[in-house]
Amino acid sequence: MGDLGGRYAAYTARLVDGVLASPGHTPGELRRAVLARAAQLSGSGSDASSPLSQRERGTRVEDATGASGETIPAALAAYADKVTRHAYRVTDEDLGALQRAGTSDDALFEVTVSAALGAALGRLERGLAALRGE
Amino acid sequence: MRLRAVEHRHRLPQRLKLALIRLVSGRRVPDVVKTLLYRPEFFGRPMCDWTQAVMRGPSPWSVGERELFAAFTSHLNQCRF
Repeated sequence: MGDLGGRYAAYTARLVDGVLASPGHTPGELRRAVLARAAQLSGSGSDASSPLSQRERGTRVEDATGASGETIPAALAAYADKVTRHAYRVTDEDLGALQRAGTSDDALFEVTVSAALGAALGRLERGLAALRGE
Repeated sequence: MRLRAVEHRHRLPQRLKLALIRLVSGRRVPDVVKTLLYRPEFFGRPMCDWTQAVMRGPSPWSVGERELFAAFTSHLNQCRF
């Protein structure tokens, strides 16, 4: 089971690439910051022995310092945190408020996916660490 | 669907796929499919590749066992699928 992370690492890297590097309606830096913040909130550590690919680890660690919120507008950060911690609590009003403030549907789509992917990667890493007995 | 763009603003090839799914199934297309087909290069295509590899690719776990893991995880996330 030790190669679990490695077995799917290429697929995960392509997924991260698509979300962070595809042309979009939000700056790639914003998506990167949202993803890194979500991964941290979901338990991503800085363990160098993590079987996640170097690329994913780089995404996480390099952005950790930039993910403190200064590059993410407060309202978007609050929404992304909700998606990360308990997406089932997101309401029409959460999105309505952001839309009324001028955030486009495409921008919300990108932020939502970035937060969800970051949360998934953080949880994956935490699960793999548990399998290693950490 | 809370985002109108993801509900209605697919590009032509994806719109055709959605229409075909509606026609064949005779039902409303599930939101998850609309999400995966919206700007697929951004998320849907690599996500489908990932899901196919993890859920159907070579594994010590059977397909049924993997589906059970996924269902249990969704249950913990209070998300039915």
